[in-house]
Amino acid sequence: MADTIRKTASVCPVCLERLPAEIVRRGENYYIEKTCPAHGHFSAVVWRGMNPSFEDWCAGIEPGGLAPDCPNACGLCKNHLRKTCCALVEVTARCNLACPVCFASAGCGDAKEPSVSELYRQFRALVRNGNTFVQLSGGEPTVRDDLPEIVAAAKRAGCENIQLNSNGLRLGADPAFTRALKDAGLSFVFMQFDGTDDTIYEKLRGRPLLEAKKAAISVCGDNLLGVTLVPTVVPRVNDGDIGNIVRFGLDNSPAVRGIHFQPVSYFGRYPAPPSDSDRITLPEVLRAIEAQTGGKIKLSDFVPSACDHPRCGFHGDFVVLPGGMLIRLTSKSGKSACCSDGNAHLKNRNFVSRRWKRTGPAPEARPDDDFTNLDTFLKRVRSHGFTITAMAFQDAYTLDLERLRSCSLHVFKDGRTLPFCVNYLTACTGGL
Amino acid sequence: MDNEARSWKCGKCGEELKKKKTLFNYLGHTFSYEVDRCPKCGNVFIPKELAEGRMAEVEAQMEDK
Repeated sequence: MADTIRKTASVCPVCLERLPAEIVRRGENYYIEKTCPAHGHFSAVVWRGMNPSFEDWCAGIEPGGLAPDCPNACGLCKNHLRKTCCALVEVTARCNLACPVCFASAGCGDAKEPSVSELYRQFRALVRNGNTFVQLSGGEPTVRDDLPEIVAAAKRAGCENIQLNSNGLRLGADPAFTRALKDAGLSFVFMQFDGTDDTIYEKLRGRPLLEAKKAAISVCGDNLLGVTLVPTVVPRVNDGDIGNIVRFGLDNSPAVRGIHFQPVSYFGRYPAPPSDSDRITLPEVLRAIEAQTGGKIKLSDFVPSACDHPRCGFHGDFVVLPGGMLIRLTSKSGKSACCSDGNAHLKNRNFVSRRWKRTGPAPEARPDDDFTNLDTFLKRVRSHGFTITAMAFQDAYTLDLERLRSCSLHVFKDGRTLPFCVNYLTACTGGL
Repeated sequence: MDNEARSWKCGKCGEELKKKKTLFNYLGHTFSYEVDRCPKCGNVFIPKELAEGRMAEVEAQMEDK
């Protein structure tokens, strides 16, 4: 017996035509369901379990308000609720890996790449619209030898936060290149990091990569380039390694600034059409963090994303103390994480800039440091702030236009600004 | 005005303020700092540079995104 919880809209995973959809509950699990007149009924799990409960997590969010031609006419329209927090710019389609799972289907694009001057014009267009947080993505951006020039162009254009989305292989293997990126103005690195065991990399990326990842963290640390670890979480592959990833991140603070979990979604390149057992939902990631850290980090340390739709992500904010103790900073005091705040994108930009950008070498901690002292606390939070965040991307099976409407992670391409999950949306047959 | 150079008196009690480690609560966290305090009633004097400096930064650091 299914209870209908919300009415929304989605697309057919086969033809990508827009369809009415419902969020339904069966037992403790929630599914998005829709029926295409041509291709039949589709159901995909979007939330498992009652801790936290779906309803509490989304409290205050009203469905409705969708543009009638969403998502087919996207670019952002007047019905879109969020401005751009982070603008993603693809600088290449090439990659130095051939992962079985890749949202961008990297490595199979054509070789035509935007020139530095073309990219500079894109950065200027972004900055003119107030978008000063740019993520350089791909493909794998570090395959471009002129990446330092691209970073410098972004800086010259007025970008305040320049983030590199990378698998880290070249960053660790080529310290001079990494140094050049830092000197050019790179702010921080979003680094693919799927686990603490090479069997995980062999399954997800086709070869062992753990040592390469550690080398990248070391070189970035030497250059005061903050690294956020980005695991793609896949059931039966690395969902049992979530606690180890958290411990690894904390052990490598302050070089590592945080962890950004991304439950696997099925767009771009993936091995086979997914069943529900191939999905892990946000509440499961939250519960795994608590269970696998032995309760050192608790589910209650996290709040829903305010910058995007609450079902698109969560965040927790911490300070790492000597010996691995933590101060929890995530506020739950009266500020709604779900409110429709016109400045949510700016708050998030400031937040990630504070936490992920390194401003200098970490001061030596002394055994008698009193972290309740204002001065000592401030020094520590500047040097050892640590975020644990997540973003659940949507694919053609799970796409919920209510969520899409609140997206603040946008891809800037050909003069258009598209929500991430629209830009990378692919039909289950692999095409657009 | 040089806060270090002059001594302040409590407006309520007339007592001269003394430096004392004082606890502040913000968003469920307790912080300590040495500020001028009335030995009689416990009122504290928060100089502008402390309010707009360290205290404002603590608020910014703890402000939820």
